[in-house]
Amino acid sequence: MITLKNIKKSYFIGERELPILKGINLSINAGELVILMGVSGSGKTTLMNIIGLLDKQTEGEYFFMNRSVDGMDDESLAMFRNEHIGFVFQQFFLLPYLNAIENVLIPIVYSKKDIKHPRDKARQLLARFGLAERIHNKPSQLSGGEQQRVAIARALINDPDLILADEPTGALDSKTGNEIMELFRMLNNDGKTVIIVTHDPKLAQFGKRLIRIEDGTISEDKSN
Amino acid sequence: MGLSLKINQIREFLEETLKILFYYKTRVIFSLSGVALGILSICIIITTIDGANKKAYEIFETLGPDSIMIFGGSERQRMARERVNTLTYKDAESIEKIEGIYNITKAYSVRGITFRYRDRKWQTNVIGATENYFDSYKWNLYMGTVFGRQDMENVEPVCVIGYKVYEELFKGEDAVGKTILIGKLPARVIGVLEERGGAAGGPNIDDRVIMPLSTVTAKLSNEKRYLGVIRVKTTRDVDATIEDIKAVLRRNHGIVGEQDDFTIRSSRDILQFMSVISGSLFLFLGTASVVALVVSGFVLANLFYLTIQERKKDIGIRRAYGASKKGILLSFLFESVFITFLGGIIGILLSLLLEGVFEKLFDIPMEFSMKVVVFALLFSCLTGTLSGLKPALKASRIEPIEAIRG
Repeated sequence: MITLKNIKKSYFIGERELPILKGINLSINAGELVILMGVSGSGKTTLMNIIGLLDKQTEGEYFFMNRSVDGMDDESLAMFRNEHIGFVFQQFFLLPYLNAIENVLIPIVYSKKDIKHPRDKARQLLARFGLAERIHNKPSQLSGGEQQRVAIARALINDPDLILADEPTGALDSKTGNEIMELFRMLNNDGKTVIIVTHDPKLAQFGKRLIRIEDGTISEDKSN
Repeated sequence: MGLSLKINQIREFLEETLKILFYYKTRVIFSLSGVALGILSICIIITTIDGANKKAYEIFETLGPDSIMIFGGSERQRMARERVNTLTYKDAESIEKIEGIYNITKAYSVRGITFRYRDRKWQTNVIGATENYFDSYKWNLYMGTVFGRQDMENVEPVCVIGYKVYEELFKGEDAVGKTILIGKLPARVIGVLEERGGAAGGPNIDDRVIMPLSTVTAKLSNEKRYLGVIRVKTTRDVDATIEDIKAVLRRNHGIVGEQDDFTIRSSRDILQFMSVISGSLFLFLGTASVVALVVSGFVLANLFYLTIQERKKDIGIRRAYGASKKGILLSFLFESVFITFLGGIIGILLSLLLEGVFEKLFDIPMEFSMKVVVFALLFSCLTGTLSGLKPALKASRIEPIEAIRG
């Protein structure tokens, strides 16, 4: 589903080049559940941002569903993200002035897909995640685990091909974190492709494939 | 893409905007009230100027474009409201002989006379006038009749009262045929004039009593030589006629090269005077409202600018989920215009509400129209666009990764 060919990314501090990714070659197929693991500063977040089309590589080629995405302008990238990728973040990033169901519906505002009855769909997703009673609550009235579930429902509302989660358990206690990971496993069992970026070794057990990033390169790539 | 989808998205977008505004209510209230005040003053300017112009046009219409008024006293003395008797009956006779002049009305008024009817009292001016007064002012009657040549010749103690005087003395009762005391002179009311309403800033035009000129000179003023005002109409060019009148009066009064001791006004002068008034109103209120709008625009821009930082994550998440730079720019701009538009509507409503109060307070007629609404909303949207542009640009330039990282 995605193919990265010799992806390099550098930041420039004045004249000095600071290489973050030093040539990543990676292929991820539809239906995989990948844990992208690395310590802070390894380049895993930069890699995730490139995969999520939030950032652009300095060198190399990126194909999403056999389509090169390198030459896209801001507008088409935004549409592409909307259509194909669902994001989940460590800090949930729910909008404080919207309630749970309204937060779930955010991607719909920008969507060109013809999602039938988005409100009903959002309600079903929230109910499936055990939040049927919470759909009209504001984020401030929800626990961390509940907020992250709302965020996952938001990632799913527009039927994306890929779920991209950045440290989804980082702000949660380990029990709640495990519940969230189980949720990702359930989604993967339903056929979703899921990539989870983390520094936490304990999460390795939840994936079907583990990719370890060290110092801007892939140091380990194993399936279990 | 189906139409229903698009409509759904727009509805969702509007709902979200409303929720955002509600969430940041302090900012919204500040900006809103500033804009509302600015728009309020713009509305007042436009309605007042329109009202003044309408009034001026009405006066012009009633006087007729061909009428000329001659007063005693120089321009300067008139400005100081000094009363100087210089116009004589002889002057009137000379003016009557000028080519093209017709319908000459002579008048002499006595100020501050007390009127009594039963136990009611009212103080105002009596205008002694020739019988064509009502005709040349195109003044219709509310009840009764006016006096004629016969009354003039017989020095009849009769009077026609203005609507204001009628209200004060008779409070809606039938006045015709009743006798009132004018100073010490008993006079019969024969008619009541139709209400005309106050002129812009001027004295109440309905607060007057008109009697035959002969009666006033013989029984109230004891003034047989001088006249207060002479009004004429002309079939010739107004300016040329004015020159002729000037020449005649200067000769009669023996004025050579010095300042005239009389003042001549045409109805065009009244129009000009009114346009000067509206001009200064426009300048004064215009400056005030522009200042109000600029200040509220700045407040809006700054408060908006501050919240961008707070809303970085908001922007990041929207960008991640499909909002383009342009989309962010437009939604922030929309938010700002929405606030000022709302402020505009509040301003318009306030001006409608205050219209009556202003009219009573300053005696300024106001003319509310669609033009006001269009102008006000245009200005408020302009304020919103201008003050929202910089913050919206800043918001759109925030990169999603930078926003998400915090």
